[in-house]
Amino acid sequence: MIATIVHTDELLQTVAAASVAGIGVTFAFSVGIWGAGQFAELSRSERPVLATAAALVAIFALACVAGAIGVGIIVMTDK
Amino acid sequence: MSAEIILWIVIATALAFDYTNGFHDTANVVATSISTGAARPQVAIAFAALLNFLGAFISISVAATVAKDVVNADVITPTIVFAGLIGAIAWNLITWYFGLPSSSSHALIGGVVGSAVAAVGFDAVIAEGLVGKVLIPAVVAPVLAFLVAGIAIGISYRVVGKQRPGIVSRGYRYGQILSGGLLALAHGTNDAQKTMGVITLALIANGNLGPEADPPFWVIASAATAIALGTYSGGWRIIKTTGTRIIKMDAAQGFSAQGAGAAVILASTHFGFPLSTTHVINGGVMGSGAAKRLSAVRWGVAGNIFVAWLLTLPAAAAIGGLTYGFTRIFGTGALGPILVALMALSLIAVAFARRAQRGAPVTAAGG
Repeated sequence: MIATIVHTDELLQTVAAASVAGIGVTFAFSVGIWGAGQFAELSRSERPVLATAAALVAIFALACVAGAIGVGIIVMTDK
Repeated sequence: MSAEIILWIVIATALAFDYTNGFHDTANVVATSISTGAARPQVAIAFAALLNFLGAFISISVAATVAKDVVNADVITPTIVFAGLIGAIAWNLITWYFGLPSSSSHALIGGVVGSAVAAVGFDAVIAEGLVGKVLIPAVVAPVLAFLVAGIAIGISYRVVGKQRPGIVSRGYRYGQILSGGLLALAHGTNDAQKTMGVITLALIANGNLGPEADPPFWVIASAATAIALGTYSGGWRIIKTTGTRIIKMDAAQGFSAQGAGAAVILASTHFGFPLSTTHVINGGVMGSGAAKRLSAVRWGVAGNIFVAWLLTLPAAAAIGGLTYGFTRIFGTGALGPILVALMALSLIAVAFARRAQRGAPVTAAGG
């Protein structure tokens, strides 16, 4: 009875989805900033291989952010 | 003929409510972006209004909850919906006038429940829907936004802690264009749907739609337009007071707060939970502030929000119930709603005039 009223499943899914999206996107975006920062530093110190690696990390992280947002909106509109 | 007049009054009142909802909430949606310098006020407000509009089209789950899961549509009449809307608008106006933070969403649901109880009795209320889809998410969502924002900002500081401050600050400011946009989208989708739900409920009650019908496109489009116009026009007013209303935070905190708020609102919207977007956004802002320094949070504001949260549902319900009783003095025709609508318009005009004389209140009122 209580589970019916509380909509436990939907509430738990909301908590899980919001936590993963909110924390995950912020983490991925922070990694993107870290990668960009490292790229700038390493480029200045003329270490092109490591700078490229840092740039790739940044691009991958920002792609993850864009992907997560895209998936989120698709899930919203599909229902 | 009388029923059609009442229906059109309900639709106009619901759209006016939607407009005031956007008007109230502009500050909450754009405050962090402006505060951290991520966007100029004019740009942030125009962007928020556009995304409010688009957000209204991405889901109808919340509208379905408002139309079908809170009160029993079989026993509802357009006059009941009208009285509920007046209860919500009156409570919003009272809290706005006195500068109390309140939720337009809770006021709307409280108003409709109150007028339904006054008209039909407690049988009109779907207790499972009210408790499970409104009251419990109303408690969980702001706490969730607080925790998500707090954890997110903690992780962010760990990841970028050793980077040059310039690039970090610039990066998060760019990110805030994204997170602020998502927050505006989330706000549009959850809040505009409440209006769609109320109009749909009135259309079902009047026999224009079947009991299981979804909101027609014109309802979605008009609700989207009303909230976007409200957001846009509300923004111009708050530009002048922005400096005193905003909690000072860095760009990373702003990004975390907006990201957490958007994530919680969008996830809740997907499951049809009609939230107070104001409470969720404030939860995110407080979470990102508390993670850095507990004293950075305006705990007094948190206390005011809690008190307003407790008062809003019963107060709006009481006004909605009284309004329904008043309309019935004039019978079941359109006269009662017409008189109440005229009185409400007069009171709104007086309140705006007096408020303008005293200056704008510093408040976090909204959806």
